[in-house]
Amino acid sequence: MLDRRDFIKAQAVATAAAAGGISVPAFAQSSMVAGEDAQLKWSKAPCRFCGTGCGVMVATKDNRVVATHGDMQAEVNRGLNCVKGYFLSKIMYGQDRLTQPLMRMRDGKYHKEGEFYPVSWDQAFDEMARQWKRILKEKGPDAVGMFGSGQWTIWEGYAASKLMRAGFRTNNLDPNARHCMASAAVSFIRTFGMDEPMGCYDDFEHADAFVLWGSNMAEMHPILWTRVTDRRLAHKHVKVAVLSTFEHRSYELADIPMTFHPGTDLVILNFIANHIIQTGRVNREFVEKHCNFRMGQKDIGYGLRPEHVLEVRAANAKEAAASTPSSFEEFARFVSDYTVEKASEVSGVPKERLLALAELYADPKTKVMSLWTMGFNQHVRGVWANHMVYNIHLLTGKISEPGNSPFSLTGQPSACGTAREVGTFAHRLPADMQVANPEHRKYVEKGWKLPPGLLPSKIGYHAVLMDRMLKDGKLNAFWIMVNNNLQAAPNSDNETYQGYRNPNNFIVVSDAYPTVTASAADLILPAAMWVEKEGAYGNAERRTHFWHQLVTAPGEARSDLWQLMEFSKRFTTDEVWPKETLDANPDYRGKTLFDVLFKNGNVDRYPLSEINPDYENREAKAFGFYVQKGLFEEYAEFGRGHGHDLAPFDTYHQVRGLRWPVVEGKETLWRYREGLDPYVKAGEGVKFYGNPDGKAVLFAFPYEPPAESPDKEFDLWLVTGRVLEHWHSGSMTMRVPELYKAMPMALCFMHPDDAKARGLRRGSEVKVVSRRGEMITRVETRGRNKPPRGVVFVPWFDSARLINKVTLDATDPISKQTDFKKCAVKIVAA
Amino acid sequence: MKLKLPEYILSPWRTISSPSRYLSLGFLTLGGFAAGVMFWGGFNTALEATNTEAFCISCHEMESNVYEELKQTIHFTNRSGVRATCPDCHVPHEWTDKIARKMQASKEVWGKIFGTINTRDKFVAMRRELAEHEWARLKANNSLECRNCHSPESMDITKQGARAARAHEEFLFTGQRTCIDCHKGIAHQLPNMEGVPPGWSDAASGKDAAHSSKASLAHWLAETEDSGPAAQAR
Amino acid sequence: MRSYMLVALAALPCLVPALLSAQGTGPARVDSPFRPPVQFTDEAPAPQIPADVTNDRRVARNYPDQPPVIPHNIRDYQVSLNNNQCLTCHSRKYVEGSQAPMISITHYIDRDGQTLGAVAPRRYFCTQCHVPQTTAQPLVPNTFQDVDSLITRPSDGGDRK
Repeated sequence: MLDRRDFIKAQAVATAAAAGGISVPAFAQSSMVAGEDAQLKWSKAPCRFCGTGCGVMVATKDNRVVATHGDMQAEVNRGLNCVKGYFLSKIMYGQDRLTQPLMRMRDGKYHKEGEFYPVSWDQAFDEMARQWKRILKEKGPDAVGMFGSGQWTIWEGYAASKLMRAGFRTNNLDPNARHCMASAAVSFIRTFGMDEPMGCYDDFEHADAFVLWGSNMAEMHPILWTRVTDRRLAHKHVKVAVLSTFEHRSYELADIPMTFHPGTDLVILNFIANHIIQTGRVNREFVEKHCNFRMGQKDIGYGLRPEHVLEVRAANAKEAAASTPSSFEEFARFVSDYTVEKASEVSGVPKERLLALAELYADPKTKVMSLWTMGFNQHVRGVWANHMVYNIHLLTGKISEPGNSPFSLTGQPSACGTAREVGTFAHRLPADMQVANPEHRKYVEKGWKLPPGLLPSKIGYHAVLMDRMLKDGKLNAFWIMVNNNLQAAPNSDNETYQGYRNPNNFIVVSDAYPTVTASAADLILPAAMWVEKEGAYGNAERRTHFWHQLVTAPGEARSDLWQLMEFSKRFTTDEVWPKETLDANPDYRGKTLFDVLFKNGNVDRYPLSEINPDYENREAKAFGFYVQKGLFEEYAEFGRGHGHDLAPFDTYHQVRGLRWPVVEGKETLWRYREGLDPYVKAGEGVKFYGNPDGKAVLFAFPYEPPAESPDKEFDLWLVTGRVLEHWHSGSMTMRVPELYKAMPMALCFMHPDDAKARGLRRGSEVKVVSRRGEMITRVETRGRNKPPRGVVFVPWFDSARLINKVTLDATDPISKQTDFKKCAVKIVAA
Repeated sequence: MKLKLPEYILSPWRTISSPSRYLSLGFLTLGGFAAGVMFWGGFNTALEATNTEAFCISCHEMESNVYEELKQTIHFTNRSGVRATCPDCHVPHEWTDKIARKMQASKEVWGKIFGTINTRDKFVAMRRELAEHEWARLKANNSLECRNCHSPESMDITKQGARAARAHEEFLFTGQRTCIDCHKGIAHQLPNMEGVPPGWSDAASGKDAAHSSKASLAHWLAETEDSGPAAQAR
Repeated sequence: MRSYMLVALAALPCLVPALLSAQGTGPARVDSPFRPPVQFTDEAPAPQIPADVTNDRRVARNYPDQPPVIPHNIRDYQVSLNNNQCLTCHSRKYVEGSQAPMISITHYIDRDGQTLGAVAPRRYFCTQCHVPQTTAQPLVPNTFQDVDSLITRPSDGGDRK
């Protein structure tokens, strides 16, 4: 029998041969191509990758994408792209695109343990509907669920929300954005009563100081980093402070670099609040007029399974989100323990640097922009960390004006636009409305033209809970769209994979490529991607951005929107809605879910003739109306007049995106301040109108340690994360040869002394072992990431080496977002 | 007025200044020689002890700044595992030069005592000055410590990268430049390099030393405020 | 015999699309092409860290707008608040001596579209766009076709079957 090493070697040879066979030798051709031959059709689109939302220009010829470059007219990036963006042209052309539905079968029939066979869309949906109906009948709506994504287009997320909540009557719908920025989203609503940043990217050109709280912008948001770099290098007074648990590329621009012990950022944040108070730099007038104070709950557990000892031991795990009214004086007393000495001792950051950092906030003349991503959000106290940074901005009144900006960055292209604004979380409805609020449900039922009382009130399972419920056999019919959760989810060997392969469950994965998640599914549906469909994304600065379908998807691949709507045709209301609802509303009887959700007079309002004739639109053609426009306009109605105003559909095809609220054709750059935000009336000055009293809330929280810290046996911190070249689990970028060759495998970055102490060196093959599992990789001691002693960093983009088998499924107990940044491992020679 | 010295000083002085009454000339000669050898050996041993990396990094200033930076570089980890230690590059091998360098080092002892670079920030602030000392020393001795290991005569340029081979042929073998001219920052991070042109450029040979701007990075970047022609034009 | 089987098995990931398009035939393997055929719960040995490509040979761009990849080693090259070692060869001033390609004229244009007298600060960190390459061989071929090849062959309407 061949062993694995032989296999890998042979695979390399075979691939090289295959690749060699494809390259056609160049033959004689005229060196000058002119006229029609050289003409390309250029169209705008947002980049497919991160939440920055760069504009790109896409050139097509003969139904293929042949070039892309940064859009000069796009405000976000003004002509620049990062290396991933520049290679967008190639992401759709990996040779192993999925082009047909594939189902596990044995003897011509679906079988959980069968092998994958190509089937038609009809066969696929027939079996899927049969399973859905069986499970709905046996167990009810709680047993079906869907795991979506911040990579869904706005209308795809919206259609999914309708299908799950109103169609199948379950809120078991969550996006992978839960792993990404749930902590930020929850804190925005708790502090301001409204989600998403008050500022925008224009803050980059106004700030005097930038503070990176757990964000490696140089690699993860490179184009925003160019704006920070521009500001820093062209204006000598500007300072950049970078905080992280290991040294990375953003340190190259840092005036104040700070490497702190994992989890101790909470101490530093409270120290800054204390420093502001102790040095008399509180903006008293602002605080009195615009702020409330609350005392937060302590000892709230770690979001693990309820029987876990840490949950049993925690005093307030069940009421983690609770808080009580408080005052400025009480807040000041609360943080007074957090002296510079204590902060330095706990965090390991020298005092002089902590003081320099605190002064950036305390000095009233310094306009400061705080930036954060996963270091803050993937944190067992992520909601607290978000609150604490608002605390220091609110104490000084440095908020809602150009340059003074606490700014949460996002990881996915439509984490804001789809996951948050559309409301594809288990607890949310469109435009910041909440599932648990009966008024909100009523409002949505009306907007969707549905019978009253139809929408379920029970908050659905969140991402990590879904995996647990799949494993426990309580969630049985599961549809995963545009994400690679088996690679992304924590503790995947013990939780996620067990759930997918649980014989009671039917798992469907819609994707463009055969990911590890797809391989573990029972039915794989081939998806159209990016410019193979008309789409819309919303970026981190509230910018909504549209694109047209520019090329057709290969084979039988279809967009998620088509899949969702087509599947809805296979259910009638009689099959899935309660009898009493239908008895009270007999008009809805005998109709398909497609009829009541999508042919409801709203979604089908716009005829095909409104489509721009220069572009194809497969979905519209399939359903006979301009679906994207109908869905968008129905959705946009929820936010118009409520601070979430979106412009008319057609406008977005003309412009390079607009930042909501768009009122009277004008976008809003800074919210909550008179003169900048049309929702703040003359004379009000500043108004946080998301909250009924117009005030923002400061919360007092202590420092609490991470769920798992290194000990004698598991003696190192494991931090996971991403790299510049790969995004979205590498499913697209690993198929671009240039990106693959730049960063072909996930390595274990560690300090050379830590390696030496274990008899290891750069290139040593090692196992990264935790209490949950292990992965095998090689040691890197001198790469772009330089962890201090005691910390290792492993990226998760590499499907050949799955670090999430090792990570811990602890979450922030309030936001339910996983902490991928802190668990204990040991490194041993493989 | 004659100063009267106290007895406790005078007495030992008399003992060692007067000829021996008890010991043989042979003993004194041989004994003196032996003592001299021991003294010299002790001195040299002590001197050599200060020439080890272990001694250098016994100061945290060295360990957590320059040594930490060295670990990332090719002079610490490379294909053949031959590595440079601190004294290989920073202590002259010739005796007189070594003693001269050691005497200079007494200043560094003061620095240690007074904590001149006892934090990272202080070290970074002084990095340019410290680097300039080393650049000047290596420039003056024609990169002697580099050449202790890297001999141009032994370089096989066919085994070098095309760019490296060309540069060595043009600048090193002709004696136009010495190692340190081009290879600054190979073992540690660079200071602010304002006004330090690439070693092989004309500017480095003094033909074009006009670098007027004082701003950091101004030698690379366009200015958009504060100074520079672009700002004045607006 | 054995090595034939090996190659055939190893070629599977590349052949998956071919298998899929041959409708209704045997089962299709849909293992992630990056994973050898092991159970999800197994972990395969890690290959060596591949070496850097350092041959100094320029690589053709896929389209004019693509940033060229770096064909040489950049180990220990420092780009920081203190210095930019890439520019010691690639800046306009020094390319005559270094014979390195000069950075593109686009790098002199700032955010407002003004052409400056020196490199625009927003272009300062080179490796955001320009990446070195390793000798790793891509496991999945990419069927992207550049515009030249489209011009010189008969149209297939973008058929990707």
